[in-house]
Amino acid sequence: MGKGLPSFSDDELVAGIRRGDERALAHLYRLHLPMVTHLVTQNSGTEDEAKDIYQEGVMVFYEKVRDGSLELSCQIKTYLYAVCRRLWLKRLAEKGRYGGRLDDYKPYLETGAEADLAEAEERDRRFALMSEALLHLGEPCRSLLEGFYLLDKSMQQLTAEHGYTNADNAKNQKYKCLVRLKKLFFAQYKEEPLP
Amino acid sequence: MMTEADYYALFEDYEAGRLDAPVRADLERRLAADPVLASRFAEYHDVTGTLHAYGQRLRVSEQLRAFQAEIDAEQETTVETGRPTMPVMHISRTEKWLREFWHGHRATMAVAASVAVLAVFGTLLGLEWWKAHQQPSAYGYTVLRRDVDRIKRDQKALTRSIKQIDGKALPAAPINNGKFSGTGFALTADGYVVTSYHVIQGADSLLIESRDRQRYRAEPVFTDVAHDLAILRVNQKGFAGFGRLPYTVKRREADLGERVYTLGYPREDLVFNDGSLSARSGFEGDTGFYQISIPVNPGNSGGPVLDDRGNLIGVISGRQMDVQSAAFATKSSYLMRLVDSLSAAGSAPGYNVPRTNLLAGQSRPQQLRKLQDFVFVVKVYE
Repeated sequence: MGKGLPSFSDDELVAGIRRGDERALAHLYRLHLPMVTHLVTQNSGTEDEAKDIYQEGVMVFYEKVRDGSLELSCQIKTYLYAVCRRLWLKRLAEKGRYGGRLDDYKPYLETGAEADLAEAEERDRRFALMSEALLHLGEPCRSLLEGFYLLDKSMQQLTAEHGYTNADNAKNQKYKCLVRLKKLFFAQYKEEPLP
Repeated sequence: MMTEADYYALFEDYEAGRLDAPVRADLERRLAADPVLASRFAEYHDVTGTLHAYGQRLRVSEQLRAFQAEIDAEQETTVETGRPTMPVMHISRTEKWLREFWHGHRATMAVAASVAVLAVFGTLLGLEWWKAHQQPSAYGYTVLRRDVDRIKRDQKALTRSIKQIDGKALPAAPINNGKFSGTGFALTADGYVVTSYHVIQGADSLLIESRDRQRYRAEPVFTDVAHDLAILRVNQKGFAGFGRLPYTVKRREADLGERVYTLGYPREDLVFNDGSLSARSGFEGDTGFYQISIPVNPGNSGGPVLDDRGNLIGVISGRQMDVQSAAFATKSSYLMRLVDSLSAAGSAPGYNVPRTNLLAGQSRPQQLRKLQDFVFVVKVYE
């Protein structure tokens, strides 16, 4: 833990992350890493597994904050603990090692983490489908859409990269690709019933 | 006719706020009126939203990995061994596994170890305690001195104090009943008394009490630990002797199957018991003792064992725990040998062991009537 880091309050952290401040996220990440590492390693996990779980947990928190749908009734620390605890339990259940009891050193409070995790799971499923759909899309549609939506490139940049004569052509191509992507995406999305 | 792609262009401009007011109003009106268009817009919104969120997820995930890598890098250079100048410690795979195992299971192991330690010490202490409670029995042998009933004493004290409160009784000096008691019998008319060694073991002072509650202070004169014998002498001032003893002490060994009896104080009153001489050796073949089939109890120790003709043949010593009515008595021949050697050593005054037997040929109750005044309670104070 770097000593030079400024200390933020929970509210400042949430505000910083909402603004997209990378420093706030980095600070948050460093702040609670030891807690989750301890939780996981004390419950038959390795440090690498702890990192995975923690990143997943921070991601859940981050996406809630960016959504603006976060209703924090407790400290961030407690929220993260609850989320990571739940995630680790799930991981253990998948490994088939545990009946579902953890060696807790904190009271497990009602944090709303359960509901948030269900949401996050649903989101994960959508992302998996989206990545699948992008794979099936084929070139040049895939790089065009990935460039625009995932990598935040401007239309001018993409026009140059893909050798379109002008930005309007590229745009039209993009819309066509989007329509195809939509068909692929919804075809799979509707095929798979909700869990 | 607009293609779907054209609509998407329109939607994008609409969401980005690039449409002119009238076009936007027109679109909004159509969205509200046309469910097909509305669902098309919803799909568009869904797909682009998911794409944006997916992009964000990938970026942030990358960021978090970067943070972690940064932290790992810091730790590797500074914290790994605690000494930055030292090289990173290399440990083998087995040791690493062992360390992880220890790290993960040390709490469980600590509990297991404590349970083991507790179990071991609990067992040891329990056994010790159990053995202590069996003492002084050696392998099932129980000596029969009586631990004076504490409850009874307390009760007496209580009764006394109640009486005192009533003011009807004079406050008498509290009667100390002693810690242990056994039985003893007169060896000579002039004040020698025989009892078992273990009765007076560890005694500070001794008191002998006859059937008529007459008390005499006594002191040990000689003890024989091996044969569990003790000779006491009454040293009370004004003691005039017991009177003529009715029995004689047998010098030879008694015969197997002889009918024998004893008198003793296993409780506050004199108790008679009889049986036969079952063996001419004692516990574990000890030839210094007889085995007799008389039911004896704590307090009988030191009591005389007499045969039908009123000869003293032994002194009650103990019994075997796990055998039905197997009591042991020191042979009178050993007692006489002891007396002879003491007489020979010339310790004053001499031992006038009785030579005439007044009991021979009399019925059992008559014998007992004569005998009862020469059997005493020996009270031991520690």
